[in-house]
Amino acid sequence: MPAEEMGKVTKRLRLIFAVSCVVLLIVLAISPIRDYLSDWRRYERDYVRFAESRPDTKRLLADFRPEIEQIWIPQMQVVDRCTTCHQGITRPSLLDASVPQPFRAHPPIPHRVRDWGCVVCHRGQGLATEVRDAHETTLAWEQPILPVRYIQASCGTCHRAELPQTPRLDRGRELLATLNCVGCHHMQGIERPVMLGPSLTNVGTKVSRAWLYKWLKEPRVITASDGTILVIGYENEDEPRMPKFRLSEKELQALSGYLSTLASEPLPPYKFDPRTVAAWEKRPDLIDQGETRFRQMFCTTCHSLAVTRAGETKLIGGDIGPELTKVGSKVNPDWLAAWLRDPQAYLPHAEMPRYQWSDQDLYVVTRYIESRLTDPSLLSDVPKLQAPTPEEVQLGQRLFAEKGCSSCHAIKGLAPQTDFGPDLTSLGSKTVSQLEFGNSRILRTPVAYIEAKITDPVSVNVAARMPQYSLSPGDLDALTTALLSMTGKSTTAGLEGLILPTRQAQFRPAGAFGELFERYKCYVCHRFNGYGGTLAPDLTNEGSRAQKKWIAEFLKNPQTLRPTLTFRMPQFNMTDEEVSVLADYLSMVMQTPTVNLASVDSKRFTPQMAGLGKELYEVKYQCQSCHTIGSAGGYVGPNLTNVGNWINAAWIEEWLKNPQSLAPDAIEPRRDFTDEERSALTAYLMTLKQSAPAPAGGTPGRGK
Amino acid sequence: MKLKLLIALGVVLGAGLATSCRANRAAEKPDPLARAYDSEPDWNDSQHVIPLNYQQAQGKRVFYQYCVWCHADSTPAGPSNRSNLNPNPPLANDGATLNVLSDDFMRNVITMGGAAAGKSASMPPWGKTLSQDDIEAVIAFYRAIAQPPYQAPARPGPKYSVR
Repeated sequence: MPAEEMGKVTKRLRLIFAVSCVVLLIVLAISPIRDYLSDWRRYERDYVRFAESRPDTKRLLADFRPEIEQIWIPQMQVVDRCTTCHQGITRPSLLDASVPQPFRAHPPIPHRVRDWGCVVCHRGQGLATEVRDAHETTLAWEQPILPVRYIQASCGTCHRAELPQTPRLDRGRELLATLNCVGCHHMQGIERPVMLGPSLTNVGTKVSRAWLYKWLKEPRVITASDGTILVIGYENEDEPRMPKFRLSEKELQALSGYLSTLASEPLPPYKFDPRTVAAWEKRPDLIDQGETRFRQMFCTTCHSLAVTRAGETKLIGGDIGPELTKVGSKVNPDWLAAWLRDPQAYLPHAEMPRYQWSDQDLYVVTRYIESRLTDPSLLSDVPKLQAPTPEEVQLGQRLFAEKGCSSCHAIKGLAPQTDFGPDLTSLGSKTVSQLEFGNSRILRTPVAYIEAKITDPVSVNVAARMPQYSLSPGDLDALTTALLSMTGKSTTAGLEGLILPTRQAQFRPAGAFGELFERYKCYVCHRFNGYGGTLAPDLTNEGSRAQKKWIAEFLKNPQTLRPTLTFRMPQFNMTDEEVSVLADYLSMVMQTPTVNLASVDSKRFTPQMAGLGKELYEVKYQCQSCHTIGSAGGYVGPNLTNVGNWINAAWIEEWLKNPQSLAPDAIEPRRDFTDEERSALTAYLMTLKQSAPAPAGGTPGRGK
Repeated sequence: MKLKLLIALGVVLGAGLATSCRANRAAEKPDPLARAYDSEPDWNDSQHVIPLNYQQAQGKRVFYQYCVWCHADSTPAGPSNRSNLNPNPPLANDGATLNVLSDDFMRNVITMGGAAAGKSASMPPWGKTLSQDDIEAVIAFYRAIAQPPYQAPARPGPKYSVR
């Protein structure tokens, strides 16, 4: 090879060498440059600049280090690097809304952010160090940030008991129970109640086939005579809870046909005394009398009626029993009288009390319900239905199982279904790829899936068996929150100890009191030792609070003068003997050791003390802002006109020391009375007595 | 030549990708309530819903248990006790009256009662019933629902600005 050419080759080689060196250098530089330009380093540099612009720079940078920060909670399998970018998250001085993100401090919450990190509540990817990976769903990272609207779901992953701080979650869990979601779905921590929907063993004796047809087609709708829908769905906690199943005409005919044949153990019809019927049948005020009795007995404490006022229709009344606006067009008159006399004979788990009816009352009230609580056009849109054919009955029976009816409704002789729908124990921790979106047009996120599924099941899956619920937007949010809280066991593996059981303590008194307790269903509205309803006052300490004589009088003639109370205890028409059993038991057994009834002797109260008490009541402490005496005063606390005949003096003294120690949810604030002031106030209150008829009612220490 | 073409293609592709990504971002509509722990409708205009953060939401809970009876015209139980009292207590959302009161003053009235702060003795002291956190939360709730809206007292603004 000539030297000239050799030189050329060498030159070329050198060039190649030089170029590859440069390329190699560039390649080697890529990694540090990428690192330098990475999201988290950028935010850390920004944080330093930001901190330097603040007056408290030193404090803001005190423990700052230019590296990836990490919170590790091994028991919960949580690795959380969010504080790498969210540097100011725990600095109180950065709480202001003008502080730019990602440096703003977290608003105050009960958990320390430094201990728990972010993803325990907000979800997302704690390991990620890039903005998009941390917050959104990507191919590799499937758990997106939870919208703050549903953040209470995360509280529910550890806290099983009801928390006052999480109203949305609590409401959602309540809905899961009241809407009978557990009828079809298995869910952790929610037990299957004894009765979900009513038993249908004898439904053929209660309602007609036409009514069943209409109900199956369009349950839970109240329409005006011109067809406009007035009340629809599960709003304001009103009944009914039955969802809408998308049934074809043939299915409707078959199911209604089948159900109308169910009458294996009919109630014997009740025969009114012919003298009662003869005396009342022709009276022009029969129906009005019935209405008066219906109101006097306070049926509306548990049942609601649709009332139209000023063009607006609303359900007025309680939600413990079903809504009754058109019940006269629904039920068979013979069934109605038998039911009212003894509800448990038809439905063993019914919550309705067994009233002491006089023949006359029962007659006028049933006649009122049959003639006033009706709607002649209720069944006008139902096609003519003949007696069901055997084929229809057979098909109906099959549909009853196929549609999942037996998940909620029992029929004697038919095995109940459980876990008809999918297990939802870990629905909240499912990732996008674990959910079946099919061809639907729903956004591919777990939250959107749940929202769509409970709003309209068919929008997710055309062949969905799940029926259509009709919920208000607030309830949809609550239900979504509760479903998102169900993440199975994995995330809280090390925290089982924190999870509180939701079971209620049982209170099952025996003997004569126990019988009456069951008969009048006291526990449906009142609470005893942590067990029972919340509509009416907790009676756990009633014996310490109220005087026995007052209890007896109240049971005979329950009243309330608290103007804010719309619900009142029904009149049970108890006998004197029953009243004395109940009053004896309540006053002897339902006591609290905090109140020593013997410690306060009313005889030592002097008129001077009462005079001082009156002054304290009216001037210094202005108790009349909340309490009424006679006709003047406030609406917040109970009426005190007859308090001297009603409450025990020892209870009043203890109450004035600390109301919340006797009733934790009492509204009355705890104040700094001296012992002398407390005695004077008690002395004054004990002078407040009203002669018969004893009108005082309500109870102290209740929020509602 | 080929190289140039390739680079040009790369640039075009990259730009296209970038714009499409940005378009995707823009398509997502931010819903202020999705970022709220809880919400409260504006008392004067039910169409306007005010988002609440955690602390304000706790204030709402405390308010609806203890304060609503006298500081609102409608209560969960129906009638309000407000018109019964003389002087009438201010509505919780009455910005014209409450915005001028400092947080310290509000804290004192709630903790020690109206009489201690030179106001009506009808306002009882809540310091022994509510926790300090509860009281702070209630103040935060009042500030959140105030109409006209509450402006926190001016503080030196940050010199720093986001890119």
